[in-house]
Amino acid sequence: MEIIDRYIYAVTQRLPQSQRADISQELKGLITDMLEERTDGKRTTDKDAEQVLLELGDPKQLAEQYRETKKYIIGPEFYDPFMTVMKITLYSVVIVMSFEFVIQIIINPASLLEQFVDYIVSFFTMIPMAIGWVIAVFVLLEYVQVNGQDLNIEKNWTPSDLPQLPDLKRQIKRSEPITAIIFFIIVMAMAVFSSNYFGVWRFETGEFATVVPFLNEDTYSGYMLFILLILNLAIVKEIVKLIKGKWTSKLLIFTVVIDIITVVVVLLMVTGPDFWNPAFMQELEQAGMITERSESYETVEKIWETATLWTLILMIVGLIWNIIAGWLKVRKMNK
Amino acid sequence: MSDIKQHLDKLTQELRRGTLTIGVLSQLSKPQYGYSLVTKLNGEGIHVEPGTLYPLLRRLEKQGLLESTWNTDEARPRKYYMLSKRGAEVFELLWQEWEEMVDSLNHLIGLEKGGDSDGNHR
Repeated sequence: MEIIDRYIYAVTQRLPQSQRADISQELKGLITDMLEERTDGKRTTDKDAEQVLLELGDPKQLAEQYRETKKYIIGPEFYDPFMTVMKITLYSVVIVMSFEFVIQIIINPASLLEQFVDYIVSFFTMIPMAIGWVIAVFVLLEYVQVNGQDLNIEKNWTPSDLPQLPDLKRQIKRSEPITAIIFFIIVMAMAVFSSNYFGVWRFETGEFATVVPFLNEDTYSGYMLFILLILNLAIVKEIVKLIKGKWTSKLLIFTVVIDIITVVVVLLMVTGPDFWNPAFMQELEQAGMITERSESYETVEKIWETATLWTLILMIVGLIWNIIAGWLKVRKMNK
Repeated sequence: MSDIKQHLDKLTQELRRGTLTIGVLSQLSKPQYGYSLVTKLNGEGIHVEPGTLYPLLRRLEKQGLLESTWNTDEARPRKYYMLSKRGAEVFELLWQEWEEMVDSLNHLIGLEKGGDSDGNHR
């Protein structure tokens, strides 16, 4: 009877491939047995079959009984931080997009309609992208967490495994990673959509006229990948901080590793060929902001030529600062 | 009253869930297929749905307490389950545990009711 096969299919379709054939055969036997008992050897009708299936109940629930464990991509443990991060992300994406919209209107009021269409379209491109990234990060965390637990199961639990009571010195204020995540998302959005506004702005009679960009627009799309990579790494770091809620030596090592990766990637970028706008000085001059051979020209040129060096110095100082701050936290913890 | 019944149903269900395994293991020193076990248990007043028993049998098999074979001699193939060696040992111990639990609980309730069959008083 077709209805029986449909029922069995509805159950087994929800089960792992490896168990399907066996359970399918078993269920078929069971239903035939139940039908036989019901009709006492007489011919079975569709109605009998339906009654038996009703007795077995919703195939979804039966399949659930067969499945031993619930499978999650993002488990209950991560549900709350997941929702928090998702909300922060979506709020910041909307804020950034609205901000971008307002800036475009200020710069170019004539294109209001066009900008508005872009603004609406960006909801359909940016929001799914943001949701996708958040999910991807949490799926990864869940995966690492679950596999990590499997390794620990062999060990016997002892009271010393208990987590420390929250210590004010070690606690990470929730506002800290949340602010950081919002900041990085905004930077990320600007890196993707408005890198051309990253430069010296020139106003003519109080109205925005043009920008002399710091970055080389021809090579920027290639570098954008790296910029997105380090920004995503930074966001992952903040999410982990948000979830952990306190400093541990593992977390410190984790953040230092991410910091080092960031510094290395930035070093490779700024020292790489054609990262900065090669025609910066000329464009600045063309824009009429400085005149060649003037004193200010030489000052600006000096600053511009040493920009790479200063980026390097700032990054390295930042890294050392982070390491020292981290080391101080470890010392506090061990006291 | 319906409130009391709801509570009772829920608690009874929990009790059943725990004891069903003992009931199932007790019947499998000889091979049986799923539906014959359902009929037998229901006949003895242990209420169980096939949708609960079939998955339970598979779980017990996976834990190594039961062994199964497909019997293809009959009109249609049936999966027969039987206690494994380990399953038989576990069942003996589980049964002892059960007896002790019943004794202790009866004794405890007897105390509360103001005296019990052992003649103990508070």
